[in-house]
Amino acid sequence: MKIKKLLVANRGEIAVRVLRACRELGIATVAVFSEADREALHVQMADEAYPIGPAPATESYLVVDRLVQTARRAGADAVHPGYGFLSENPSFAEACAAAGLTFVGPPAAAMRRMGSKTAARQLARELGVPMVPGALEAVASDVEAARVAREIGYPVMLKAAMGGGGKGMRLVSREDDLTEALRAARAEAGAAFGDAAVYLERAVAEPRHVEIQILADAHDNVIHLGERECSIQRRHQKLIEECPSPLVDASLRARMGEAACRLARAAGYVNAGTVEFLVDAERNFYFLEMNTRLQVEHPVTEMVTGVDLVHEQLRIAAGAKLALTQSDVTWRGWAIECRINAEDPFAGWLPSPGTLTGLRAPSGPWVRDDSGAYEGYTVPRWYDTLISKLIVWGADREAACDRMARALAEYRVVGVRTTIPVLARVVAHPDFRAGRLSTGFLERVLPALRANESRVLPIALIAAVLAEYERGRHEAAAPPADTAPSAWRAAGIRGWSRP
Amino acid sequence: MEPPVKYVATVNDESRVVDVTGTDGRYRVAVGDDVWEVDARLAAQGIYSLLIDGVSYVADVTDRDGACVVEVGGEWYEITVEEQTRHIIRTRGGAAGGPRSRTLTAALPGKISRVAVGVGDAVRAGDTLVVIEAMKMENEFKATGPGTVAEVRVEAGQTVNAGDVLIVMA
Repeated sequence: MKIKKLLVANRGEIAVRVLRACRELGIATVAVFSEADREALHVQMADEAYPIGPAPATESYLVVDRLVQTARRAGADAVHPGYGFLSENPSFAEACAAAGLTFVGPPAAAMRRMGSKTAARQLARELGVPMVPGALEAVASDVEAARVAREIGYPVMLKAAMGGGGKGMRLVSREDDLTEALRAARAEAGAAFGDAAVYLERAVAEPRHVEIQILADAHDNVIHLGERECSIQRRHQKLIEECPSPLVDASLRARMGEAACRLARAAGYVNAGTVEFLVDAERNFYFLEMNTRLQVEHPVTEMVTGVDLVHEQLRIAAGAKLALTQSDVTWRGWAIECRINAEDPFAGWLPSPGTLTGLRAPSGPWVRDDSGAYEGYTVPRWYDTLISKLIVWGADREAACDRMARALAEYRVVGVRTTIPVLARVVAHPDFRAGRLSTGFLERVLPALRANESRVLPIALIAAVLAEYERGRHEAAAPPADTAPSAWRAAGIRGWSRP
Repeated sequence: MEPPVKYVATVNDESRVVDVTGTDGRYRVAVGDDVWEVDARLAAQGIYSLLIDGVSYVADVTDRDGACVVEVGGEWYEITVEEQTRHIIRTRGGAAGGPRSRTLTAALPGKISRVAVGVGDAVRAGDTLVVIEAMKMENEFKATGPGTVAEVRVEAGQTVNAGDVLIVMA
């Protein structure tokens, strides 16, 4: 079987990523877009694009029937769900199958088994894969949550049963905060995943987040592509990821990889998937959950293994056997990814939607910018804040850190606040350089990262004053009102002309 | 040569007088007693290339609520720039900005998912006042200090714009 035409049931950078793979493989592409996304990059990059409803995701990107109908009308034979939205929703996988569409992801049954965090924990227990103590079921009520939390002991972590990406997650250190945390976690989970169920597990102190990438075909072959470390997080959402992990040696990699493959095989898993673990200071690892889809941070694995994960996903979905055996997988050098989000790190990571009036992405040797944006693009307030993923490769970790510092310094985004300044300071931080990471790292160092050394304050003052000076000169020389500028140029008329 | 335009640039509550002359990308900028010859070009909207004594800087300038945020050399500053005459009028008599405002305004557009307080409630620093849902996240807005709620201007489910007054404290 060959996939001829594929609908990408997603938006933003991941839709662009999938479209690129399709184009490389000669697969025709269909994009979908909400009313807020007509101008999005993925719409411009696809062969065809169709509207699927209003801006709220619940009325567009999460409407199963409309996506399936659009795929059929467009004559697509396959659907790639990306990450988030419906990617881990078994009903969507089933609806695609029922409509004769190849779903680029695991079978619905495997997704149910592993996509539900609580069912996955039950399976892990049967297989003897180590786990963080906690509930095997979602909590039905606040009263039950309080009882379970007392049983496993505070601090506890609330998690969305159907979730991922940190949405619907809350750390609770005392019973007084439980009710409000449950409410917020359920609201986020409901909005993001269409299922408000949450469960509890004990929070591990100073844990590191290490996950294993697996690939499985429909012919009982399962391999792992090593680990990614994703310990630099804010609000339980990953901000910096790397492959390999500074903590993991070949022996730990083999043991974690074996555990991940065992879980995937037992679940009847097919396609790309990620098994997440927490690793404590003594290098004990605990199964956390499985993400039954492509991960945001998949590029770091690609850079180090040389395997194009989206190509593999498409090949597997088309029924092909894995081209690689476990012994074919090798890891060369070091890759780091930084997430460029439209948010203000120093105002509680508040979203900062708006127009990217200026944008200049870095390039040069071993730099990859997986972006869903372009200069002049408006980041809609309806979806997540990810603008772009900046990925670099280096021969070793130090070289990769140096290259990331260089690339972040090149990255220019004007019009919205971004995570770039804080990313640059994390990458320069002695503890990060030394590989001393934990999921609490960022919140611990953030206040200190804020301080400016004021080395370049005079330069900043000069820039600010000159911008105002040129604005004043321009307004003084402004043309009469009846020669209104064209809307095409409205964003670019102030200040100096371009050289 | 035209007389310089005088500005007051304020950063971290510290104001400096800055004089500017020049045109077409060549400027003379005086910050206090320091004088700088600046070759400045707009490389892209909001992205400025500055050459000062042969040293090349790239500064990103974003307007935000009357102030601007400048990022340069891995540092960033919030700077308010106004012409000196306007600054003098505004601050005459030392009444800069008036008494400290006691309102909570929406820092971002979104939907009110919860109002945690009612009129007459006494709140302490850190208490949640309002929760706004935006970009798929629940964003909690907390009291910065103690006080009593005098007015609640929004209700759950309502859509708000950045800058809308949500809560007024007595």
